[in-house]
Amino acid sequence: MAGPVLELRNLNKEIPRPGKEPFQIFNNLNLSVREGEFVSIVGPSGCGKTTMLRVVNGLMPHSGGEILLDGKAADQVSDQLLMGFVFQGASLLPWRTSLKNVLLGLEGRGNNGQEAEQIAKKFLDLVGLNGFENHYPHELSGGMQQRVNLARALAVNPRILLMDEPFAALDAQTRSFMQLELLRIWAETKKTVIFVTHMIAEAVLLSDRVIVFSHRPGTIKSEFDIPLPRPRDMDIRSDPQFLHLENQIWKQIEQEVKAAGGFAQL
Amino acid sequence: MTEEQRNLVSILLRVGSVLTGLLGWHYLAVAVIKDPGILVSPVEVVSKAYEMMVTTGELYPHLFASSIIFFYGFVLAVLVGVPLGFVMALSPLVRDYVNPWMTTLYTAPRIAFAPILLLWFGIGAGSKVAIVFLGCVFPVLINSYYGMRVVNREYVELARSYRLDRWALFGKILLPASVPFILAGVRLAIGRGLTGVAIAEWFGATEGLGYLIFFAGQTLNVPTLFVGVAVFAALGIIGFEIVRRVEKFATPWRGQTQGS
Ligand SMILES: Nc1ncnc2c1ncn2[C@@H]1O[C@H](COP(=O)(O)OP(=O)(O)OP(=O)(O)O)[C@@H](O)[C@H]1O
Ligand SMILES: [Mg+2]
Repeated sequence: MAGPVLELRNLNKEIPRPGKEPFQIFNNLNLSVREGEFVSIVGPSGCGKTTMLRVVNGLMPHSGGEILLDGKAADQVSDQLLMGFVFQGASLLPWRTSLKNVLLGLEGRGNNGQEAEQIAKKFLDLVGLNGFENHYPHELSGGMQQRVNLARALAVNPRILLMDEPFAALDAQTRSFMQLELLRIWAETKKTVIFVTHMIAEAVLLSDRVIVFSHRPGTIKSEFDIPLPRPRDMDIRSDPQFLHLENQIWKQIEQEVKAAGGFAQL
Repeated sequence: MTEEQRNLVSILLRVGSVLTGLLGWHYLAVAVIKDPGILVSPVEVVSKAYEMMVTTGELYPHLFASSIIFFYGFVLAVLVGVPLGFVMALSPLVRDYVNPWMTTLYTAPRIAFAPILLLWFGIGAGSKVAIVFLGCVFPVLINSYYGMRVVNREYVELARSYRLDRWALFGKILLPASVPFILAGVRLAIGRGLTGVAIAEWFGATEGLGYLIFFAGQTLNVPTLFVGVAVFAALGIIGFEIVRRVEKFATPWRGQTQGS
């Protein structure tokens, strides 16, 4: 098999503070993600998960280490649009219809016109929004908005899909539904996904591998392979192996929260 | 209440408000004050308006003169205010440079400028347009500036994430996000612009609605005075309605949340 799609080597991020030592957000991150792999990242609040995604996406510079995309330094890769970013808040532009929102990413690559529209429609179909092309965001439910968000990220045909707690704002039922939808879409598109979440069960349900971050400055505390068979459905949540993994991961996070000074510090 | 019932109540309240107001006015004029040198009944105002619009047609030259002044001052203010507001929002240097003057001009009472402008531009259209311009430009400028400053940071992040260049960021994110703010500024500008027309035509004008009111006041022609005021009010209402339609057309994405 080919080398990893994404490799982080000793990646650091710190923010300089005048008159003080720099504020370290994460430290010494080493991570390698395979083609088509679904990797989740969990960890205490404030440990730098969002910052890591932003750095990987090129929205922020790093302070040390390396980011390799297909073995090449990320800043050498001609266009970092190898990433699609799915935001926590759907971040849809309220003055654009679903279709136009999906088109935004394509416009960024100079892809306009008929062909772009065909692509956008295809991905709206894929996320199950056939018939909602001309709806404005305020006419869509929270779940539907997240579908548009996902379609927009997929439409640029990214090498890697970065997702930052995309379902956090949804109610429990919609959330479960969207998890299954994501599994279906992932199986269809075979994308490499890095998925940040607070919900351990969500991470276990979706992932091939779950990474636990330590408290800030974040480093990788432990990794769990999730060998549960696919395709998965909601029944798997009562599988003993599932529960065991969930429990183990929870213990890891609990240790970190305690080490950071308890919940009150979060 | 159903949607339909709510609409009905809303309409009834509005019509009722106008009717009771007019009735109250009529009663006040006819039964309480009883002095047509101070207050005349709306009936008389309407009949005077009819006379001025249909019988003699003497209203039109005034209406036309005022409209022209308003139009030039207002359009000029939008043409200057919107781009200047944008530039100030996007460049802190320009903002800091322009700010002291802007604050001074904005906070000083505009009527104080009228004689100066008259001195500079003479009593022709120039000075009047300048007064209207001064009234309109600040709400437009400040709202355009503000609209661009408060654009949701998420949208900017989104644009960067999808690698939109600077022009696309402006055209696809900042500009559309500012439109509702700009239109709110334009709405304010209409009222201030009409005030500007009235002020401008009080000083050395020979026609216009402001002149009409001023002259009617001097000659104690109370019905004409009221017609002038009513026409000003009507112009304001028409202006608001136009902005409302532009708003509906330009920002269909705001849906029903705006009310009417
Ligand atoms: N630009 C910045 N300047 C200063 N501090 C920052 C900046 N960005 C993030 N931080 C800080 O870095 C830490 C990590 O933030 P980040 O948002 O990455 O955490 P997170 O793991 O995503 O948290 P959560 O799970 O709550 O979303 C926080 O303490 C945050 O305040
Ligand atoms: Mg976060």
